[in-house]
Amino acid sequence: MTAWARFCRNRLALLGLVLVVVLALSAALAPWLAPLDPARQSLIEKRTRPGAKYLLGADEFGRDILSRVIYGSRVALLVGVLSMLIALVGGLLLGTLAGFIGGWLDAVLMRGVEILLAFPYLLLALAIVAMLGPGVLNTTIAVGIWGVPAVTRIVRGSVLALREAEYVGAARALGSPGAAVLRRHILPNIIPGLIVYATLFMANAILLEAALSFLGLGVQPPTASWGLMVSTGRDVLLVAPHVATVPGLAIMLAVLAFNLVGDGLRDALDPRLRGG
Amino acid sequence: MLTFVVRRLLLAVPVLLGVVFVVMLTIDLLPGDAVTLMLGEHATKDAVAALREHLGLDKPFAARYVDYVGRLVRGDLGRSIQQNRPVAVELADAWPATLELTVAALLIAAAVGIVAGIVSAVWPNSVFDAIARLASLFGLSMPIFWTGLVLIVVFSLWLNWLPVGGAGSLSHLVLPAVTLALPSVAMVSRMTRSAVLDVLGEDYVRTARAKGVGEAWVLGKHALRNAFIPILTLLGLQSGQLMGGAVLTETVFAWPGLGRLMVKAIFARDYVLLQGAVLVFALAFVVINLLVDLSYGLLDPRVGRQG
Amino acid sequence: MRSSSSRLLLGLLVLGLVAAIVPWADAQKRGGTLTIVRPTDPVSLDPNLETTAPGAWVYFNMLEGLLTLDDKMQVKPALATSYEVMSPTRVRFKLRPGVRFHDGTPFNAAAVKFTFDRALRGTPPARWASLAGSLDGAEVVDDLTVDVVTKEPYGPILRTLAMYCMGMVSPTAVQKMGADFSRAPVGTGPFKFVEWKTNTHVIIERNPDYWGDKALVDRVIFKVVPEEGARMIALQTGDADMVLFPSPAQLPALRKDPKFTVHETTGIRVVFAGLHAGMPPLDDVRVRQALLHAVDRKAILDNIMEGSAGPARGVLAPGVFGYKDMQLDRLYPFDRAKAKALLAQAGWTPGPDGMLHKGGQRLSLSWVAARGRYPKDGEITEAIQAMFKDVGIEARVQVLEWAAVFQQLRGNPLNHHMFTVGWVTSNADADYSLYALFHSKQVPPTGWNTSRYANARVDALVEQARRSLNQTEREKLYGEVQDIIAKEMVWIPIYTTKEIIATRGTVKGFQIHPVEYNLALWKTWLDR
Repeated sequence: MTAWARFCRNRLALLGLVLVVVLALSAALAPWLAPLDPARQSLIEKRTRPGAKYLLGADEFGRDILSRVIYGSRVALLVGVLSMLIALVGGLLLGTLAGFIGGWLDAVLMRGVEILLAFPYLLLALAIVAMLGPGVLNTTIAVGIWGVPAVTRIVRGSVLALREAEYVGAARALGSPGAAVLRRHILPNIIPGLIVYATLFMANAILLEAALSFLGLGVQPPTASWGLMVSTGRDVLLVAPHVATVPGLAIMLAVLAFNLVGDGLRDALDPRLRGG
Repeated sequence: MLTFVVRRLLLAVPVLLGVVFVVMLTIDLLPGDAVTLMLGEHATKDAVAALREHLGLDKPFAARYVDYVGRLVRGDLGRSIQQNRPVAVELADAWPATLELTVAALLIAAAVGIVAGIVSAVWPNSVFDAIARLASLFGLSMPIFWTGLVLIVVFSLWLNWLPVGGAGSLSHLVLPAVTLALPSVAMVSRMTRSAVLDVLGEDYVRTARAKGVGEAWVLGKHALRNAFIPILTLLGLQSGQLMGGAVLTETVFAWPGLGRLMVKAIFARDYVLLQGAVLVFALAFVVINLLVDLSYGLLDPRVGRQG
Repeated sequence: MRSSSSRLLLGLLVLGLVAAIVPWADAQKRGGTLTIVRPTDPVSLDPNLETTAPGAWVYFNMLEGLLTLDDKMQVKPALATSYEVMSPTRVRFKLRPGVRFHDGTPFNAAAVKFTFDRALRGTPPARWASLAGSLDGAEVVDDLTVDVVTKEPYGPILRTLAMYCMGMVSPTAVQKMGADFSRAPVGTGPFKFVEWKTNTHVIIERNPDYWGDKALVDRVIFKVVPEEGARMIALQTGDADMVLFPSPAQLPALRKDPKFTVHETTGIRVVFAGLHAGMPPLDDVRVRQALLHAVDRKAILDNIMEGSAGPARGVLAPGVFGYKDMQLDRLYPFDRAKAKALLAQAGWTPGPDGMLHKGGQRLSLSWVAARGRYPKDGEITEAIQAMFKDVGIEARVQVLEWAAVFQQLRGNPLNHHMFTVGWVTSNADADYSLYALFHSKQVPPTGWNTSRYANARVDALVEQARRSLNQTEREKLYGEVQDIIAKEMVWIPIYTTKEIIATRGTVKGFQIHPVEYNLALWKTWLDR
């Protein structure tokens, strides 16, 4: 049975996949999907309840919450995907270095990875953003750096295992350069693990971006970010709970979607990884 | 056992020195940035230079590092730029609140998570198992700052059972601790379920069962004992994440701890205070990991002897 | 005639009796802890270092000056019992006998001299020194008589001495505590200091040895709750008895609910978006005028302030001596076309991205603001940011803690085009504001001319008005100053505050003051 077939048998994972596709479409088609300009203020229509004109209501500046949630999906996915790339590239680099060269470099890198893996990531991200200053790009960097150690460990583990494997030794003996060995033998082996990790990482990246923005240290107004929307909605929690509730639900659904898909992929791609 | 503790504590020193090194280096690698952020983007060169000198940033990195570590040894963390108070005093004021919150959340996570996990493992694929697994998925997916707001609306505003924020009594602790614990409850229950399931599938457990030993005995004697080490490791890791989450929870519930202090330090561009706060978190983190390792030793004497 | 007047007299008598009886019916209770939630922590509790509200709210209850302003803005005696004008530059005060500071030090003429010397001759001088005009210091006449001396004839001297920040400090405590005094001040007031936990709370308690009517509550806790929503919930659930800066959106409901009391009075603070007139492109008056046309002040007032503030008709609030309506709505109506036309005159034309450009440069303004320092300051900043965008101006807003914003505003040079702040004419005399804010020599750190406004005619007028003791002449001079400023606006005035404080219904006896800083809590009591 193929991995895809196994994945499709998992109804929750399929639901997650549908949600991810919806999210991706909303991000890609935001300008066409959003009924209104997300930055357009109409002060007189502040805090309008959900209704015909504003399907999900309006926020404290009379901005359309639906449009802002749709545009917010762009920010969430953009930060998620870019930070994932940072994590993958950084992790591949460090992991192969540690695995191939070994020795003291490996020891130092892995000790650092261990520390970073266990260090509370929100604090790390906060520290990075504090140094770089807030903004979409710096938030992305902060989130990306957090993913590097885990990828490093996955890559290094596979490199070590494969280094011992006979066919890699044979390839090397035949004079294949390191890069070719990496591309032909090592990458294909670690891709399933990385895909699972990357999917679950997306979920956490979205959470982390939302948290930073909620604290006022991530995406800055007037850009629509879900975390920021919850933060401003908090001030009118009593009179207009929908302002904070709607973007919070959006965060939850997006994170849930990637978690479901990630779990499903893990079960489908590598049943041995189950339960971790 | 004692040598084990001492060795582990000594190992913590390079970790802390490393944290200081990384924090200071990060500030250093971004020349003038910290200072420019403090002064605004059109700050004149003179003003930037003057502030750098005032903060001691004009000295070479190595000198500042040695200087800071030297003062650190004497317990001097510098003076907060904004509050003009010793950083050590600010931190000493704030950390008990964070400790209280994290410990409470950890206890909730351990108690609820382990019980739910065991029940799920003993009756896998039961209705309870399905509900618990779904709930843990949501627990992992909900942003805790938002969960906190929802809990405030329900329990403080509608039901008026619990205070909305601040610290002081046990009732103030309930909502923030539950909010903070939720993702960890989810993690712990997942982990417990799979660890107990694994052990229940082992040969010796099956042998014990075949011998007619009672189910409760099997669970207590074999399954839980062996499942305990991975669970404990996870709890150690989770306490680190809880400290991170405390930043959000403290903000939502106006809980006067380190996390809130740290966010304020960032907004106020108070790098001296920020550096101190990061250091305290790192120290707490090292201590927690030490405690986890020590409890391995207690549960499994071989670890202590080997270490 | 005779009978009607005697009937009137009788009526007045009855009224007076009723007025005297009503407080009896509502007998004051002693004791209890009053919990107050407010958005920010103080910078310091020493008036020398802190003249803004977060600190003043607290120290106003611990430190007393020679005079004070009552809630009708009239000067009333405090630590002084009487005064006599000796010469245009010298006022003699008789001091209240038998008063002691919280640490037991006797209050006397030497303490007055010490307080003024510390503030005016210290390095650096007190934050309020620049607000005290020509005040030069005090001279001891005898133990309970002191002369307050000014460098030149100074019209607003009595109102100045009645300001909230002119509290007397204990000389022994200052000498003993050094820098720590700023975190635990010692005065003569009805409350004394207990504890300050940074970013959490400040606690003060009743001074049992107070010379006057002793405070009714045992303790007051000032808690920091930065989020407006959380402050309001705290009030609803009873975690807090009093909310400073309540949420405007909830006031209508609170006013109707007998469980709460909304205390309101017209304030004397103007909240504005300040413009740095020394920094291009804002050095061009047409650009500044365009910014005023670009902002829909009425929409902000109606929808963000929601009735909790009045319109700003100028740089002063209507209750201030010397105020003149600057006719801003006539001079600078909300008119995007007008704004764009003025900007075009200044050379700013739309680029391909829809934003305005000049010589390849985008019209982009850096803006520093706090959130939660003034009612709705963060929201106003964000609303104006959107209104600017509608005419093609980019505003890059940096939100910082108030303490950090304050530090930048007090610093020189100021490195931002714009800043969101409020200004309160604490002694209700135009001199206080027009001199410190618009005189070209009053650039920080000397004064408060954060806009770097410079106009020689304005300088001359405010100096002349300050020296004059003729109030009619002063009023005319201040009118002219405001006419000039109206043409060269360096502010976008947004609103005049209403002072609004919401309390639970159990809080009695509280009297709100038009000056935000004068949060007097000693007559407040708790009915529970």
